[in-house]
Amino acid sequence: MRLAARGGARYAANAPRLFAAAGAQRQQLRDDLALRTAQDVADTLGTMKGVLMKIGQLASYVDDGIAPPARRILGRLQDSVPPMSPELAASVIVAELGDAPERVFREWDPLPIAAASIGQVHRAITADGRAVAVKVQYPGIAEAISADLGNVALIRSLLKMAVPSQDVTSLIEELRERIGEELDYLREAENQRLFAAFFDGHPTASVPKIVDELSTARVITSELAAGARFAEMLTWPQEERDLAAETIYRFTFRSLYELCAFNGDPHPGNYLFEPGGRVTFLDFGLVKHFTPGELDPLIQMIEALCLRDDPEGFRHAMEEAGFLQAGAPIGTEEVIRHMSLFYETVRERGPRTMTSEYSSAVARRYVDFKSPLAAYASIPRAYVIVQRINLGLFSVLGAMSATADWRGISEEIWPFVQAPPSTPLAAAEAPWLASRSGPRPWSASTAARAVGGHVDAVGAGEAAEPP
Amino acid sequence: MTAEGFPGTPLFQRAAAAFAACVPVEPADDGFFGPGSVTWRLHADLSGPVSGLRSLLLQALHPLAMAGVDQHSRWRDDPGDRFATTSAYVLTITYGDRAAARGAAERVRRIHERVNGIDPVTGQPYAAGDPALLIWVHAALVDSGLAAAALYGAALTPAERDRYVAEMTAAAELIGIPAAGYAEGGAPASVAELAAYFEAVRPSLATSRSTADTAAYLLGMPDVEPELAEAWQVLAAAAVTALPGWARAMYGFCDASDGSTGTAPGSAPPAREEVRQVLGVLDAVYLGEPGVLEARQRITVRMRRAGQ
Repeated sequence: MRLAARGGARYAANAPRLFAAAGAQRQQLRDDLALRTAQDVADTLGTMKGVLMKIGQLASYVDDGIAPPARRILGRLQDSVPPMSPELAASVIVAELGDAPERVFREWDPLPIAAASIGQVHRAITADGRAVAVKVQYPGIAEAISADLGNVALIRSLLKMAVPSQDVTSLIEELRERIGEELDYLREAENQRLFAAFFDGHPTASVPKIVDELSTARVITSELAAGARFAEMLTWPQEERDLAAETIYRFTFRSLYELCAFNGDPHPGNYLFEPGGRVTFLDFGLVKHFTPGELDPLIQMIEALCLRDDPEGFRHAMEEAGFLQAGAPIGTEEVIRHMSLFYETVRERGPRTMTSEYSSAVARRYVDFKSPLAAYASIPRAYVIVQRINLGLFSVLGAMSATADWRGISEEIWPFVQAPPSTPLAAAEAPWLASRSGPRPWSASTAARAVGGHVDAVGAGEAAEPP
Repeated sequence: MTAEGFPGTPLFQRAAAAFAACVPVEPADDGFFGPGSVTWRLHADLSGPVSGLRSLLLQALHPLAMAGVDQHSRWRDDPGDRFATTSAYVLTITYGDRAAARGAAERVRRIHERVNGIDPVTGQPYAAGDPALLIWVHAALVDSGLAAAALYGAALTPAERDRYVAEMTAAAELIGIPAAGYAEGGAPASVAELAAYFEAVRPSLATSRSTADTAAYLLGMPDVEPELAEAWQVLAAAAVTALPGWARAMYGFCDASDGSTGTAPGSAPPAREEVRQVLGVLDAVYLGEPGVLEARQRITVRMRRAGQ
């Protein structure tokens, strides 16, 4: 069949668990349970359940931080959401795009190929012949979740139960804002456009382009990507996995430093893999944008610890950012001992392997509120999600047992170093990087601090263009 | 919270195990109601916990029912077990096949045979198998299902409300209420008959120290962990709000001058949305217990195949 011939079949065959294991009987069950009306959606995902699922999704990046019963409940909750019936999905297309899906698109697959957290993904072919993935939001879900997000008191108690060791005050505002944003597909499409434009022409990192005229507040149409799912990629030879991991790493930190945006969701379901380190990044519902001022302290911390070996400078930067109370009665050595684990992969040059043990240790350290630091440490709101996503990234790379000279790669990316290419993939990336023009987001002082291989080429003070 | 579970976990676990066991995987028949019934829909409604709590508050207002519970049940030693047992009974007669429903009813009737005595408050003799008492308990349950759903659950049409009361006479007969019209000593079979029944029975109702203790216990739930206390308070206020005005007045919840309906005089009734949010969270926790999601899916599939 034509859709399959375009490469979507593999995507469908590897779709997430909701549909993946569907034998005939199980598929029948899902059809029987399908959400058929907006009322079904409200019953299934309203009354806090959609909010709980989103909290669970965010919290799942820190498995160690979430209480086991809460983890179980949140997992079950995701299983409890069936797909929309073909008719209900079609009704959203009619409402958003003005006509039945069979008329809006040249071809429309009424069976979803994947579940998105508040919607589902259908394959289609546009009138002009492009194979696309159409993400359709459950009708009424945005209203239901927005209303539930208003019950701050209840969310606060839930968070206290789900992540007992965390300070929930900064978490709660950030969660509400991020979840609220995720309901808005216009914003998600805008984020995806930003990333797609930035990585356009990149040899290995790819972001499906948005089809503007078929995207609305409740529907996102983007190019259909092909590739292997995470689980399949894990069966590939280690060299392939290392290359894929390098692409994910470059993608993540290039976006952070160049776009001041931390992309989505380092969730295994949001990548499609092809040999040669090629990775397609799928979900942009959860993107955190920073101001250069918010990034600066993070940069200074890295600089102090990894480049200058300046413990007092590191501590000072932590205090500036609000991670650590100024004047806390704790020796700087203690601070470094606690914090250095987070930087272990980038403190020294040379190949290092990310392992699940390491990512778990990082996550445990992150939520270790018994440490002497705990009483004086906190995570300012601007960083609360990013820290968690960062842990999610470690966890993904750990699952891939990825080996690379992470420090070498980081030096290329760190705006205060801008080292020359350190790997073959970096060399392949160079033309793309050179084609990125325009002002860089980081502050002049950061760029001016550039040291190492490329400082001369960059030119102190100018600092706008990479070589 | 402990590693083993959320606050209230034992209660959830028991209720969940009972629920999973009550909904047959391969039913011999559609039971006494069937997947097309209003009863199936209402007994799966989100408002169930409010209905249950309201039902207990209402039932406690009958001195003889209260005396039976006081003298024969140790539910306060283990309220979770009591709630789980009661909800298992209702679920079995609802979703179980006929044999399972009859078996469950038979077990309750045998227990009722031993429950009799003298009410220390009124001096009247009582027997749990007395049809008049059975109708009281039955009517309170049916009325509570409708009242809780009307405020916090699925919208039913007037015709569906009537159908529910009529369908539930099957439950009444199972427990030993005469299979007769309401006028002939059977259970009420319509919303109007249900209202007439409450009008008629009200003179027999009374509060006592036991009633007050029971209400204070149910609404305060000293066994509820602090994390759950706030949520329980919302449910308690919802249950009180769902009570008939006269019952609130008997309990002294209602300050008639300001029309407030909260658990304390002057307190405002909780908003529908807030109650539903708490119920949704409880439901999510419940769904986390083994077998609950599957049992619920079995119900949904059968209801949908029956055209609901």
